[in-house]
Amino acid sequence: MRTFTIPTAAVLLTASSAFAQFGNPAGMMPETPEARPGVPAPYANVQDRLFVKLLGMGNAGEVAAGRLAGSRARHAGVKTFARRMVDDHGGAARRLEAVAKPLNLPVPTEPDPDQKAAQARLEQLEGAAFDAAYLQAQLVDHQKSVILLHWVISNGQDAGIQSFAKETLPAVQDHLRHVQALMAEVTGAAGPVDPPVVAHR
Amino acid sequence: MNRLPASLAALACAATLVARADPLPADATYRPLPTKPFSEVKRLDEAAKPAVQRRQADLLASRYDLSNRPIPGVMMSGGRRAVQGGVRVKLPAGMTWEKLGAMTPEEIRERNLLPEGFKPLPHVKQATGGQVFPQNQIDTIAQLEQRDLRRFDVDFDLPDHLTPEFPAPIFLTTHPELGDVSRGQVLSIRNFYEIMNGLITPVQMEGLRLLLTPFPQEEFNQTEDRKVAQQSMGVACLDCHTNFHSNGAFHLTPDVRPQAARFRLDSTSLRGMFNQQIHGSKRSLRSIEDFSEFEQRTAYFNGDHVSATRKGPNLPDRTNQVAMMAQMQNIINFPPAPKLDWRGRLIPAKATPQELAGEKVFLGKGQCAQCHVPQTSFLDNNMHDLQLERFYRTGEVRNDLVLQPDGPIKTFTLRGIKDSPPYLHDGRLPTLADTVEFFNLVLGLKLTPQEKEALTAYLLTL
Repeated sequence: MRTFTIPTAAVLLTASSAFAQFGNPAGMMPETPEARPGVPAPYANVQDRLFVKLLGMGNAGEVAAGRLAGSRARHAGVKTFARRMVDDHGGAARRLEAVAKPLNLPVPTEPDPDQKAAQARLEQLEGAAFDAAYLQAQLVDHQKSVILLHWVISNGQDAGIQSFAKETLPAVQDHLRHVQALMAEVTGAAGPVDPPVVAHR
Repeated sequence: MNRLPASLAALACAATLVARADPLPADATYRPLPTKPFSEVKRLDEAAKPAVQRRQADLLASRYDLSNRPIPGVMMSGGRRAVQGGVRVKLPAGMTWEKLGAMTPEEIRERNLLPEGFKPLPHVKQATGGQVFPQNQIDTIAQLEQRDLRRFDVDFDLPDHLTPEFPAPIFLTTHPELGDVSRGQVLSIRNFYEIMNGLITPVQMEGLRLLLTPFPQEEFNQTEDRKVAQQSMGVACLDCHTNFHSNGAFHLTPDVRPQAARFRLDSTSLRGMFNQQIHGSKRSLRSIEDFSEFEQRTAYFNGDHVSATRKGPNLPDRTNQVAMMAQMQNIINFPPAPKLDWRGRLIPAKATPQELAGEKVFLGKGQCAQCHVPQTSFLDNNMHDLQLERFYRTGEVRNDLVLQPDGPIKTFTLRGIKDSPPYLHDGRLPTLADTVEFFNLVLGLKLTPQEKEALTAYLLTL
């Protein structure tokens, strides 16, 4: 397996992609300001705000778990995956910060309670048991992230956050494929329906 | 490979069962209640509409050649619309169908070479979704019933010539000798009795009446949660399945959430319902009775009984109403196919050499008959997963639709297929020639240009 390249597509937040988003006016909050008729000005609705909070916590949890797994994992592939998580989620955290800043939304820097509990369990484990528990936690985390991104694409409002979500989802989905492929290798579980793009290039 | 003992793996899983973090709010599954007054929603939707339509038009233009290029001399079964020809899906720059067909799925995915037109087709406005009718249906129902099917937030996106003929002919299993009994009209609650009196039984007549009776649902209702200007009288089953065929109206699949992952559904024809054993692209409902009853319970293809209840669901009586609706649907025949025998096989004396060559490809190298079995109305009453995700990177987004693997989808009949553009469950393929290229690639067939042309010619005989 070769070293991973950090997806750079997600860094590109162009003005055109931001303006291509229309949001969902039927679900628009009554106080939403409009840039021009029918087009919301930069504005975070309830869903956008919750998204920034949940994804911020998620990124922090991924980086923390990745650092632990980078040093403790036994399987070489798991170690490499852990480094990918630290790099990619660190990058995603910085990009999230950039889209949240103009909206005056604070981005959490602490993992969510589920991740903290999982981290505490991981701290107690070693060897193969650690690898399996880390991968299982990563599987659930990335399944949740995929649905979280779908949800904000469906129900969010702010064009910057919409663009961020759309450009981040393919990378998160590739993380999910990667963890499924590793689980197949380490635990014998069924692998992903389609193989990872980055991991096995 | 070092594998973990099962007991340890089970322990690791069990430890994650109790969730401490909150899940997403209810709108990840349920349709949210409107938060704005109707006039405000309408104002915003109308203001956004030109950009919404332009974005969809740009997507279609980048994927397809939408021009009006009929196949000379080939008409749909009612003789009212020409069948369009040629491959309309655009290739990536520098690529040919032959070069693409010689590549592996992995290479195509790696180099991002799957034509955009082969990927799932988004709804015009994915975030809102809902039923969108073609203009000819909107105009006809306005004239016949003074009922409004026009949405203020979106318009239909495909040109008429790439949709089924309107109005479609109606063929009855009970009166094959009569041919098309539609009189060239659209069946509606106003005229059905006059058109069908003497042709069908009292039970079928009552079933037909129910299938034509509008009931208020999702975008067409009396509350502020609607997308028509006036309080709506609702929609009827045959508003999409005009004359028991399809008018090309589309919707989003009821069976997937969140909204961004719901793929587009092109209305299917009801022709040949008498031989179809499973219903719904993904739900595999086991009878047309189940389907007819349940769609009225769950907001017409939204998989949402909660929202339906708020707007006034129709709960037809299973014995006295549903059975009658089913019996009406079960007498809708396929259009005549004079070149086919009772097994669905070409009669050599009536077919051209090219059509016969096409049938050979269909039954052999093309693998089409593995699922589209001629003897059982070109159905196998199964669902299959084409695993298209082998060819592209899932998770990408097109006009708010997240491109995900489709999973198993029902086999659709090919009888009368020239009458039913666009093709595939979401209508992503404009012509039969496109479907031949699609399956040539997806099934790895490596058909020659002559074989592809023969297969297309054969499909036109069905």
